[in-house]
Amino acid sequence: MDFSSLMIQVLNGFDLILILILVAIGLVIIYGLMEVINIAHGEFFLLGAYTVVIAQQWGLHFWIGMILSLIVVGFIGLAIEFLCIRRLYERPLDTILATWGISIGIKQFIIIVCGPAGQVVHTPFAASVIFLGIEYPVYRLFTMAASIAVITLTLYIFLRTDFGLQARAVIANRNMSSVLGINTRKMYRTTFIFGSALAGLAGGIMSPLMSVDPQMGLGYLVPAFLAIILGGVGSLYGVLWGGSIIGGADSIFSYLISPVGAQIIVFSIAVVLIRLRPQGILGKKS
Amino acid sequence: MTKGLFASRRNLILSCLLLGSVILPILGGTYLTGQMTQYFIYGIFAISLDVIWGYAGILSFGHAIFFGLGGYMMTLVTKQMIPYMTAFHSTYVGFIFAIGVPALLAVLLGYFLFYSRIAGPYFAIVMLAIAVIFERIAVNWYYVGGFNGIFSIPPLTLSLPGVFSYEIIQPVMLYYVVLGITTGCYLFCHRVVHSPFGSILAAIKENEERVEFFGYNIVRHKIKIYAISAGLAGLAGALFAAVFSFVGPTILGFTMSTEVLIWVILGGRGTLLGALLGAILVRSLEAFLSDIMASYWILFLAFIFIICVMFFPKGVFGYLFSDD
Repeated sequence: MDFSSLMIQVLNGFDLILILILVAIGLVIIYGLMEVINIAHGEFFLLGAYTVVIAQQWGLHFWIGMILSLIVVGFIGLAIEFLCIRRLYERPLDTILATWGISIGIKQFIIIVCGPAGQVVHTPFAASVIFLGIEYPVYRLFTMAASIAVITLTLYIFLRTDFGLQARAVIANRNMSSVLGINTRKMYRTTFIFGSALAGLAGGIMSPLMSVDPQMGLGYLVPAFLAIILGGVGSLYGVLWGGSIIGGADSIFSYLISPVGAQIIVFSIAVVLIRLRPQGILGKKS
Repeated sequence: MTKGLFASRRNLILSCLLLGSVILPILGGTYLTGQMTQYFIYGIFAISLDVIWGYAGILSFGHAIFFGLGGYMMTLVTKQMIPYMTAFHSTYVGFIFAIGVPALLAVLLGYFLFYSRIAGPYFAIVMLAIAVIFERIAVNWYYVGGFNGIFSIPPLTLSLPGVFSYEIIQPVMLYYVVLGITTGCYLFCHRVVHSPFGSILAAIKENEERVEFFGYNIVRHKIKIYAISAGLAGLAGALFAAVFSFVGPTILGFTMSTEVLIWVILGGRGTLLGALLGAILVRSLEAFLSDIMASYWILFLAFIFIICVMFFPKGVFGYLFSDD
């Protein structure tokens, strides 16, 4: 195997890892803060991608479409939180079911509006550049840069700002922080919108790299969930570990065997790891 | 007194339903009889999910892996596709494998998962991942038909080697056989959940820790009911394979797992009859409404599902009668 094809695989692997973390980080803040398992997260990702598709059909510029994916999915998150999730805070297991129903609804809604076939999004970038001596698509480099920027920004918000401090207080002890005067309800809403918008943006960023079709949400949801459980739900850094392991292993096995074989192997390994260490890599044994 | 009243109401409803089911082929046409045969099979599947979810509180996402595995087992046995096993290809052996293999898988999964601290939401996610693994394997394993599945599966055959062999293909006959099996499954599950074993399950559902302090091995109880549930799902899958004469990845995949959840939620989790009727209701409505509503039907179903989860956790039939 020559050097450049290996480099391309490595870069693709990094790309996958970063996107996975981007999807998973929205999930982990929603789960960590609200204890809501959001099965519809994959469909939020899907909605982001379709926002770009529809923006393109309307003749809007690609970048406007991407910004819209953040805003539109954020608003959809707000609506869903207000209409549904808000009423289920006391019943965490039922939120799985409700968001499951929402995911079916969103998927079908997209099929009705855009049809079941895959859609293609064009990027404004030139095809590829010479990078580190190899030819590599510019857009993939952009997705990496954008993912790193968004992940860093999210970590900054949650680890360095007052909002983040309050959010982490709620994660650590919900009742205590509520007693100390943190408006947990408002916190939940903000978090849910934030997480949804992140999923939407991830979908928007990824849209040119794949055939955008209504069934693809699940393909991102399950790895993202495995990543956050593997990393440990109590810590935001955990998702970086979990995402790297799942995404990295998936890339390696895809290259060595086949994408399908990789998925089977990676999911199996993840299930075994979660079984052996349910508290996650960064979690402490209680 | 109240309990007696409810019990008699249940018996009354049950008798009416059974009577209605028995005379259905006489009043309804062949088409309706054929449809009801299918709905009863889905009903058994719904009951199998309800015994573990409604009565033991274990939300099994990806329950269709057991249904699908049952279907595949029936197929592989009756089509003589298992090496060294080609001599045994009767319906009976098919049923033994279709019930036994999913039950065994459930025991293994149970040992693997229940003994760890994987609980509640984690269990749901891990089951989801396992379901995806099974679907991928079924799609890519060409010996078992791959993406297209396997066709022309032999029908249910009543036989005594060397004496006689009778294929049950006549629709009314098939209907009564499936009705009989469904009734049997219902009565069996009703017995299980109302036995002392069932009481412990109900207690586990309410408060696992307390049951443990009473000295019960909760994991063993969970594994037992999981195996029963998986075996029933496998039985339903085997009937599906024989009646539809087809198995494919769709019957063990995500879609099927979703559908059975919807039937049980709408029918009423925690009532066996509710789950059974939920499957029949949703399927009948689908046959009737999907022509009129086209692709809006699923949207409508999802909406009703969410409403039920939020406001009517006992489903449509759960309020109509209490199962105990």
